[in-house]
Amino acid sequence: MAQGPRIRIDAASGIPAVRQIVDSLRVLLVEGQLVSGTMLPSVRRVAVELGIHFNTVAEAYRQLAAEGWLDLKHGRGAMVVPRVAPVVANEARNDDLRHRLRGLVAQLRAEGVSTASIADELRAMAKVVRRS
Amino acid sequence: MRLVLCAIYVFIGLLVFASPNMSRRELLFAVPVPPDFRQSRAGQHAIRMFRLVIVVVVAAAAGALLLSPASFLSATAAIAPIAIVLAGVISFRWQNHALAAAAIQFTRPREAEMSVAPDNLPWFAWLAGGPFVILATAATWLYLHWDQIPARFPVHFGADGLPNRWAERTIKGVYGPLFFCAEICAWVLIMALAGWFGSRRSRSRPVMLGGVIAVEYMLGLLFALIAIQPLVGIPIWLVVLSPMVILIPLIIVMTNKMSRPWEPMDPTPNECWKANVFYYNPNDAALFVEKRDGLGYTFNFANRWSWALLLSLVLVIASVPLVLA
Repeated sequence: MAQGPRIRIDAASGIPAVRQIVDSLRVLLVEGQLVSGTMLPSVRRVAVELGIHFNTVAEAYRQLAAEGWLDLKHGRGAMVVPRVAPVVANEARNDDLRHRLRGLVAQLRAEGVSTASIADELRAMAKVVRRS
Repeated sequence: MRLVLCAIYVFIGLLVFASPNMSRRELLFAVPVPPDFRQSRAGQHAIRMFRLVIVVVVAAAAGALLLSPASFLSATAAIAPIAIVLAGVISFRWQNHALAAAAIQFTRPREAEMSVAPDNLPWFAWLAGGPFVILATAATWLYLHWDQIPARFPVHFGADGLPNRWAERTIKGVYGPLFFCAEICAWVLIMALAGWFGSRRSRSRPVMLGGVIAVEYMLGLLFALIAIQPLVGIPIWLVVLSPMVILIPLIIVMTNKMSRPWEPMDPTPNECWKANVFYYNPNDAALFVEKRDGLGYTFNFANRWSWALLLSLVLVIASVPLVLA
């Protein structure tokens, strides 16, 4: 049976569960694996599967709704909605991107990932981004 | 009757004896360990010590049952199974404590499918209605042969196999066991559904559901036999041993399937397991999680629905004086 898009969290990673859910879901939304009109599973179901509290999933859904990805209607679940990316000045955006990438690279190097591997992954990612 | 009781108690002893094998490879006496730990010296020593205690207690219980004078038989028959189970619990706890230093924390990422595809029950779930059909059939048969039921018939037997409590041919006396069993089966069915929808999707989940349905059948058959016993005069030893027909294959199949290393253990946090047996994790939305002290699932006692289900069991038990003669 075909499986739908999945998110994953790692309790041992040290990253708060809510952030892992938001990041995983955002990837699925940006990559178009979750398209406008898609209903997301209930907070209860996701919380049971991930072994976390309902409130953690609800908070993740709320954060994504605040970013404009989801529409949360009481009693009707979470639905993916069309989203227009906010307009940000180029220079500020590039600064932010550079800052985040440096942080990520530093974190990976601190975890023992080789610089060659990081560079390869970034190159591969750049190709994907250009295509999209 | 002594031999039948002795056989039952030896069977209980065998189950306790085999209990270290009735769990996932990554668990030994409810302690999370590496899969190859069982074969290590420490693992083998723990299993040997546990079994030694069980062999001694079962041999003592069987000996006492076979040799005790008739006047002590009832007391011996009541104490023997309690002693075996108690020895199992104490010995289990002893080895659990001894292996605590070898405990590891299971770690693996958890995944959730982001679709609203329904979490359908497996095809065999409809079989859960079978025991109710069995009970209804027994009730119908009793109704059709009402006049042939003795006016007074035995409903409870002592360790000597002789009846020690009687019931009369009334609605409560005749249909009581069937009503009670229907109550228990309904409770078991609710547990099965709660277990399905309140636990994480895994390959163990359908096995657990199948096992619960099999238990339902075992109860349905046992109580149907008890109910029709006054009419057809089935030997009481046959009634007592009848659950084995389902229980033995069930244990073999469940052990074989659930101890199969087909997916890693659910990484429930060690600190949330009280005595490695009771799971209490307020940050886990699951109502049921995989057990650590054997096969199957157990409650997450931090979930208030677990207490509601336990309370409903208390109500079922409390209804005994109302439904049984």
